[in-house]
Amino acid sequence: MVQLRNGKRLKFKILKNSFEKNIFINCPFDNDYHKLLRPLLFTIIYCGYNPRIALERFDSAELRLDKIKQLIDQSSLSIHDLSKIKATEKNEYYRLNMPFEIGLDLGCKLYNPDKKYRNKRSLILENERYGYQKALSDISSSDVKCHGGDPEDLVIEVRNWFSELGCLNLISGSTIWDDYNFFFTDFHEDRTLKGFKEKDLDKMPVPEFISYIEKWILKNNKQNHCA
Amino acid sequence: MNKTRVHIIKREEGWAVKKEGGQKASRVYESKKDAEEHSQSYREKGHDVIVHRRDGSVEKWEKAKV
Repeated sequence: MVQLRNGKRLKFKILKNSFEKNIFINCPFDNDYHKLLRPLLFTIIYCGYNPRIALERFDSAELRLDKIKQLIDQSSLSIHDLSKIKATEKNEYYRLNMPFEIGLDLGCKLYNPDKKYRNKRSLILENERYGYQKALSDISSSDVKCHGGDPEDLVIEVRNWFSELGCLNLISGSTIWDDYNFFFTDFHEDRTLKGFKEKDLDKMPVPEFISYIEKWILKNNKQNHCA
Repeated sequence: MNKTRVHIIKREEGWAVKKEGGQKASRVYESKKDAEEHSQSYREKGHDVIVHRRDGSVEKWEKAKV
């Protein structure tokens, strides 16, 4: 139950495990990427979709590959961010998890006998246009958008992808970006009052962060812009 | 009752000063420093000013002066 700003109470309900609304997120999980992952999660939920990400649950006994397969199986959409696959320092390894998971997702679309997977749609994000093609030319005809490492651009590109998918009533990407800043202020204030320090906020588990976004969107009546 | 908060937000063209709930930014400045300086008038009118980092997180929370 969520208390709305006008005093009314609203039953907390966001569609979970809805194939059409689920978006598999294939991205790096390191601290450097948090500045992009957080607005990405916010934009997805804001536009009425469910982010599905390997970090959504932690179970030491669960095989990572089984978890990824399940997330791909349960999602009609996917966002693959290849902006961090390139090694940036001498002796640093090229990062293969993201290209590997694109392969799994495309394989599901192409080979799964269930026809519902034929309509899977993907968005590939990268830092600079045509950058990833030097390493992954097999998918060079795919839809690719560039964010240049900028969170605002990421929000705008993802919002525009939803529009291209048929969500024609969405508000502007810039407004979503502003709302993300407002959201983060409430998040910061609430957590600080409850004793959280900057370090706690930086290391907050993804499910907790997602839950806070969902509640904020309901409380501020920002949901279902994609309806 | 607290007055509307004012935010300094990164935009492609610079740093915007925007009241929460408003439709448009009051102004976009080339530098963050300029935006912070100009937002001081809001503090004198009783608004908290929240300065954001480029990633949207909170860098500074400047309380209203009145």
